[in-house]
Amino acid sequence: MLRYLVTIDGHEYDIEMEYRAEGFDVSLNGKKRKVIQYKLGESRSLLLVDGQSHEVDVRGGCLDSSKIIFMQGQEIPGQIEDYNLAQLRKTAGMTTAAAIDRTVRAPMPGLVVEVKVAKGDSVTKGQPLLVIEAMKMENIIKAQGDGTVKEIYVEVGKSVEKAGKMLEFE
Amino acid sequence: MKRSIRKILIANRGEIAVRVIRACRDMGLTSVAVYSEADCTAYHVRLADEAYLIGEALSSESYLVHDKIIDVAKKSGADAIHPGYGFLAENATFAQRCADEGIIFIGPSPKTIAMLGDKIQARRAAIEANLPVVPGAEIDAANVHKALETAADVRFPILIKATAGGGGKGMRMVEKAEEFEEAVKRASSEALSAFGDGRVFIEHFLQRPRHIEIQILCDHHGNCIHLGERECSIQRRHQKLIEESPSPFVTEKLRQEMGEAAIKIARSTGYVGAGTVEFMVDQEGHYYFLEVNTRLQVEHPVTEMVTGFDLVREQVRIAEGDVLGYDQSDIRFSGHAIECRICAEDPEQGFVPSSGVLKNYRIPSGPGVRVDSGVVIFSEVPVYYDPLIAKLIVWGKDRDEAILRTRRALDEYRVSGLKTTLGFHQAVMDNATFRQGKLSTSFLAEEYPDNRFIQLDDTVRETAAIALALDKFLRARKIAVSNNSSSRRGDSNWKQFHRRKNLRNFGGSR
Repeated sequence: MLRYLVTIDGHEYDIEMEYRAEGFDVSLNGKKRKVIQYKLGESRSLLLVDGQSHEVDVRGGCLDSSKIIFMQGQEIPGQIEDYNLAQLRKTAGMTTAAAIDRTVRAPMPGLVVEVKVAKGDSVTKGQPLLVIEAMKMENIIKAQGDGTVKEIYVEVGKSVEKAGKMLEFE
Repeated sequence: MKRSIRKILIANRGEIAVRVIRACRDMGLTSVAVYSEADCTAYHVRLADEAYLIGEALSSESYLVHDKIIDVAKKSGADAIHPGYGFLAENATFAQRCADEGIIFIGPSPKTIAMLGDKIQARRAAIEANLPVVPGAEIDAANVHKALETAADVRFPILIKATAGGGGKGMRMVEKAEEFEEAVKRASSEALSAFGDGRVFIEHFLQRPRHIEIQILCDHHGNCIHLGERECSIQRRHQKLIEESPSPFVTEKLRQEMGEAAIKIARSTGYVGAGTVEFMVDQEGHYYFLEVNTRLQVEHPVTEMVTGFDLVREQVRIAEGDVLGYDQSDIRFSGHAIECRICAEDPEQGFVPSSGVLKNYRIPSGPGVRVDSGVVIFSEVPVYYDPLIAKLIVWGKDRDEAILRTRRALDEYRVSGLKTTLGFHQAVMDNATFRQGKLSTSFLAEEYPDNRFIQLDDTVRETAAIALALDKFLRARKIAVSNNSSSRRGDSNWKQFHRRKNLRNFGGSR
């Protein structure tokens, strides 16, 4: 039997799971569920949860604690941890949130049409940094806080990927 | 003047290229696709009879280059070019070039495109044809002082639009005089980069209007009819997301009035081909001319579903010089159709585009369901183009049936690998205000002020949690199994087969 702590959309689920010949015995926050799983190929599977049919696709690297579940036309992000480790972490008062990022990343893929700052400039919160054209619209990327521009990774006329590094603060 | 068309080059990509290729097949014509380096294995390239590479991914290096398109048309022996929408669809210079090269451009004449594409001239034409227009004026972006005076006359809130524009590009809403200057500059710069023309004009912004448009068809012989209206009020930043026909607001009398108005402006401008006359309609039912789109619209299938017409076929017939062969009294409307634009966008993040590979893609089907898709499973959605990947068009005998059926079809859709607007559409189909037909272009801002569309219910959340736990459990178990695989080796295939069969039986015993 394995026990996990799963977080979906801000809701925590304590899940215990055991394999039986006829399916999986699942306890979800203490509620018993009988789950049958059929592989549909790759990361997709058909789940019958107490007979209720759901097609799901769980995507993400095999060691990632954050994954994305595609189901019913929706993309649902979820986190999973070993239950006991999660309890330990909680009592130690740690969070899983990453350290504050000094890197400005593209919120969307697009084309850089304007870079409004130069290396070494000090900027204040809310100051426009770059203009990205994505799908017909120009979007102004503003500084999230005060700082000095350490490095600029993009050029006017070049495209950026979603979450691509654009600029770094000191 | 009758010229027969045997081979059509489609100067476009994505779902609209697929749509036109299908019409070619239906008419027994040969189709020629063009593609950029980002689209080598795109669906439209796979479906066309012939396909030619025309350049790098950026559309300014490929789909927008007149010389390259004309070159392929000549090389392949195409006698006509269908521009789809966007790209070269409303480019008068390109239409003229086609004419000069002896290639049929499937659309109105270059003169008509130029005139109606210029919003100031189109407005003037509408006033001359006695169509009501929204108060507005042209401004000089370089002279902000003077522009601000004009703005005060037109009355805030104000909409700034690109004179040469379309599709919401370069468009800005300004509520107060203080925001005016920055907005004019930004709109003008966007217009300049998008259309090579920085001119802008301003219009009084109507409160909570509906966007309703009339589909028209006009031949070379002076025949002109309308195919009723489409309501496209569900928009965000002037981009339509959901369209339907008929409009739940339009009465038979209003339809007739607006239809006649549309035909009037078409006749007065010598319009030939399929076109759309757009109107803003206020909550009292007063309608105001907005613009004429001299092309096939994204949302044309809802009209096809309720009239039984194939609009691309009609476009080709008209371009060949055929007579329409029917008049207004022959047009019949049946049932209700809704279109949802399935875009690679994240609605919860302000609809930012999402690009990548479609790891899973399965489209719905069944009664009343049509999907015009530009992608298939494992297609890559590149960053360079419009995020529209498919359109779901659903027909029902009335609006209620169409909404429920749309909901069903959306549930059947399977997409993984990308964020899409599927969940957004599900939310709108469930929305009480939408179901009552109380629409306006402010619908999304009013109903979803914080961009939160998706309310996950307990079942979905719990199932997602189980799916995640099961995924982890099976990986852990797989590692355990491979660690003592020697003890497992004794299992025969037959044993495993029966074990699996038993699992299936358990599932089937409901």
